[in-house]
Amino acid sequence: MITDILKASVAASAIRLATPYIFASLGETFGQRSGVLNLGVDGIMLLGAFAAYYAVFETGNLLLGVLAALIVGMLLGLAMAFISVTLQAEQGISGIGLYLFGLGLSELLFQKTVVTPTPIDGFPRVNLPILTDLPVLGEIFFHHNLLVYVAFALVPISAFVLNRTTFGLQIRAVGQNPEAADAMGISVARVRYMTVTLGGGFAGLAGASLSIALLNIFQSNLTSGQGFIAVALVYFGAWRPYWVMGGALLFSTVNALQLQVKTIENALGINVPSEFAVMAPYVVTIITLIFASKRVEQPTALTKPFERGES
Amino acid sequence: MPENLLPTGHRRIEQMRMQGIVKKFPGVLAVDHVDFDVKAGEIHALLGENGAGKSTLMKILYGLYHPEEGHIYLNDQSVVIRSPNHAIQHGIGMIHQHFMLVPSLTVAENVALGLKSSRGLILDLEVVSKRIRELSEIYGLQVNPNSPIWQLAVGEQQRVEILRALYRGAALLILDEPTAVLTPQEVDDLFRILNQMTADGHALIFISHKLHEVLAISHRITVLRDGKRVYSIPAESATKEMLAQMMVGRPVVLRYDLPPIEPGPALLRLEGVCATSDRGDEGLKNVSLNVHAGEIVGVAGVSGNGQRELAQVIAGMRSITAGKIWLNNDDVTSHSPAAMNQHGLSHIPEARMTDGVIKNFTVAENFVLQNHGRKPYAWGGLFMNFRSITRQCKTAIKDYEIKTPSHETPIKSLSGGNIQKLVLARELSRQPRVLIAAQPTRGVDIGASEYIHHRLLEERTKGTAILLISEDLDEILALSDRIVVMYEGAIVGAVKRDAADVRTLGLMMAGSKVTV
Amino acid sequence: MLSRKKWLLLPLILLMVALVVPMQGHTRSAKAQDTFKVAVVMPSASNDLAFSQSMIDALTAIDEEMGDGFEFVFQENTFVVDDAAIALREWAASGEYSLIIAHGSQYGAILEELAPEFPDVSFAWGTDVDTFGYDNVYAYEAGSDQGGFVNGVLAALLTNSNVIGVVGPIEVGDAKLYVDGFKAGVAWVNPEIAVNVNYIQSFSDVALASEAAQAHIANGADVMTGSAQMVVGAVGVAKETGNVLWFGQQSNQTELAPEIVVANQVYHWEVVLKEIIAQVQAGTLGGTSYKLTLENGGLVIEYNEAYALSAFDKFVADAVIQGIIDGTITYTLE
Repeated sequence: MITDILKASVAASAIRLATPYIFASLGETFGQRSGVLNLGVDGIMLLGAFAAYYAVFETGNLLLGVLAALIVGMLLGLAMAFISVTLQAEQGISGIGLYLFGLGLSELLFQKTVVTPTPIDGFPRVNLPILTDLPVLGEIFFHHNLLVYVAFALVPISAFVLNRTTFGLQIRAVGQNPEAADAMGISVARVRYMTVTLGGGFAGLAGASLSIALLNIFQSNLTSGQGFIAVALVYFGAWRPYWVMGGALLFSTVNALQLQVKTIENALGINVPSEFAVMAPYVVTIITLIFASKRVEQPTALTKPFERGES
Repeated sequence: MPENLLPTGHRRIEQMRMQGIVKKFPGVLAVDHVDFDVKAGEIHALLGENGAGKSTLMKILYGLYHPEEGHIYLNDQSVVIRSPNHAIQHGIGMIHQHFMLVPSLTVAENVALGLKSSRGLILDLEVVSKRIRELSEIYGLQVNPNSPIWQLAVGEQQRVEILRALYRGAALLILDEPTAVLTPQEVDDLFRILNQMTADGHALIFISHKLHEVLAISHRITVLRDGKRVYSIPAESATKEMLAQMMVGRPVVLRYDLPPIEPGPALLRLEGVCATSDRGDEGLKNVSLNVHAGEIVGVAGVSGNGQRELAQVIAGMRSITAGKIWLNNDDVTSHSPAAMNQHGLSHIPEARMTDGVIKNFTVAENFVLQNHGRKPYAWGGLFMNFRSITRQCKTAIKDYEIKTPSHETPIKSLSGGNIQKLVLARELSRQPRVLIAAQPTRGVDIGASEYIHHRLLEERTKGTAILLISEDLDEILALSDRIVVMYEGAIVGAVKRDAADVRTLGLMMAGSKVTV
Repeated sequence: MLSRKKWLLLPLILLMVALVVPMQGHTRSAKAQDTFKVAVVMPSASNDLAFSQSMIDALTAIDEEMGDGFEFVFQENTFVVDDAAIALREWAASGEYSLIIAHGSQYGAILEELAPEFPDVSFAWGTDVDTFGYDNVYAYEAGSDQGGFVNGVLAALLTNSNVIGVVGPIEVGDAKLYVDGFKAGVAWVNPEIAVNVNYIQSFSDVALASEAAQAHIANGADVMTGSAQMVVGAVGVAKETGNVLWFGQQSNQTELAPEIVVANQVYHWEVVLKEIIAQVQAGTLGGTSYKLTLENGGLVIEYNEAYALSAFDKFVADAVIQGIIDGTITYTLE
């Protein structure tokens, strides 16, 4: 009985916790598949979270909030594309720069406008006829807010775009062998601009999912580094949307489990130091990375700027 | 089928003419008022040393570079080719020396890359695969559209490149050094395909520096030297000697006499050597080998069959998992490169820009790279004796005909041939007992190659044991007393110089067991 | 006679002086000569409705009271200890500040290094009791177990499910004291009530705090509390659920969820700070350790006026506060 509640609660928790990671990691997957590493995801998430929060705070219109996060995210993605593609700056460093920019600006804007964390009415949980009332399953799968469903719906869509469309083929080619793509008449710069801008938009949505759907509040450094975990999850998921989702769910499940560790201890009569429980998600991630098999999908041109020249 | 259509259904290019083409790079006139043309049904070979301008000229035709002067005419109409895409639209295709394929994608995906899909934004790989099969049928280019590129052999990858060009309607095809990575059998296969394409009305441009291949396949030959067109001649009236002389600008010796030498004791011995490759699989499988004093042993094979690992293992740059190595009868298994040097080994590494020299160092610094701590280059192993270094280096520059502004020039600004000569000078200055020469003339012009070959033969006469590793079968045949062939990390055959012929070697290089 | 070169130097020096003077004027402001200037670093945002904000509120209160005679500067979000070290050293070296506060127990090691280096500068830090034996270091802490006990008593009176959830950051400092006091308060009323404590090992992860709250609720909790700045996520969850009560800690968190917040333990650091300022003005630069308590007014239980607390419950709570102050109620922490 208690274990049933526990399972349902952990699973539902994991799905909610995974939502921002899925948005951000899918976006980053597009960028990395085309050869651009954007380490500034966390900064974009923060500004996206603030934009969505502020729009809802002022107007109460949730769709406007989503739109604000999307636009802000895409603008920042565009900036990252300009820096990494056109200016060919070192991607790691410029990503960190973008992160610090997002961290500082979101904080500053928040202090100049809303000042103290004030709750807002975010996306309500969706009640689906019949489904939500299902025992256990209803709680796990059919009692979340809209953005949770959007995030999970984006997984098959992203996989389809990457694997079944001409644009996806171009992305994969540009990330693996930009010279070949160039020789086939594909604009490497155009493809990278599009993926990084799209990735920025996704990161903005990730921020919105925190500030106007899951937490319904804004606070300085609201993401507390989730964007960096999202980048790691892309490696973890070997640049495949479904695997990335699996990674996000695994990470979130272990995270949700550690929240329940006291309940589990009581049920089993054992004592686990909480530090171990907290380390668990990271340890699991690292171990999986170590034992991950060879990665055919790895974009070999990742972090390498492309310039047409002597081949 | 109407007259002016190819079997692929695309229009023929009856004639392509480049006129007065000029291309400048900072400080260099890469292409200097060159005229060039090719007709439907013809193979026109473009011959020249590295840096003669043949690649630049072809990149202009393919839209990768834009000429400062000159015009391009297709079927007597002037065209400006702005980009590869534009060239493709005009029916011009190019097979690059380094294949422009994406390894993780399938054949069909590589072909579909950059093309409009019949289903809009969504890929139509079934349609593409069907068309690939049709084209394979017409030209006998067997390839499975669903195989990922990384699983294909080099020859198959080249077929994909050709298929892709045909798919895109290429009526004129530029082939940049297409035989460099192929076994002799694969070369035969390629030539069969090329002949069929010309019979069908394609126009082909064949870039190469291998004289016998050029003579075998082409109808006309144009030689470039220092960015200028030196000569154009029908293939049937050309000879190797004549072409070599036009390329280099002076008479060149193409055949070497190997004076018979009674081989001395075995100075280099390998027994059952195994090693792991960078990819993590078995790079060397149970390799046993002897090289005697005064003998050149040639190692033949298609690139990536363990030659690199073999050289590195002997030089002490790669650890071995089993077996033993002797130098001068001393067991040197698992010794460091420095220890190998002290046992009388010299090594001309395959990757000369990364393993052979330090790019930003000067000629003199690179010259003393290994011996900088020893006499006569240093006092007491600590202080560098610059006067002695300068003197020795200047002597080497003179002796080895190294073209460099001074001994203080950074090595990276020298040509490949001159860098190789410097490496050779450094390695031979130590008077080695055993010499490993890995790809000693790759990317080196004919003149320098000839010089390096003579130096190797001189060493042979001195009684040095030489292991010559090369993917250039002509080089192996010209210099070696004995030839061993490597395939997938193992030695699959050994032949004496007199018994060697290209056919058997080619079969062995492709993995067939041949008894000689 | 000065040579020509030296004549040229003169306008250069003047120019430099002209550049430097307005910069100093900017930081100094136009206040009276004997202004008492305080500088403080804090680990989170100054508006975190928790630890850092409690210090800002205190300094603002003193500023209002002392007016022109007082001034403070602060650097927030210095969760990277090295960044805090840079700020602290600069302030100490400038000699401009009468008191430098490192508001966070993670800054202890820096002060231990800086204090002997700048013996004429007065430092204060917390929450801790250790002055390292230096006579220019004050330490301050909050006896947050006291308010935790009061909150715990009220929580025990209000729970129907007999399950209470606590969302903590890391098991140290005033957070641990508060949680332990809270548990003692609950047990004082009814030892049968289950108090589930969840340290999420982060002061900043709002999403995890929110999920921790969801987990408590799923386990049947109908009253919750928590400590540190990430609890805004937990308050949000409690508010959304609608029938779960919340007890605030460190700052007054009523505005986060006026419907469900019952009471808050609020830190009034000004009680301790005023004491320290008086000491410094009298020439004593440190050596003492202070503690906020219900008795000295540094800890205050602030009720949410909008929450209809029954007269009986409020009577009990007030009685408990009085009992702790006069020593008639004692308890032991785990």
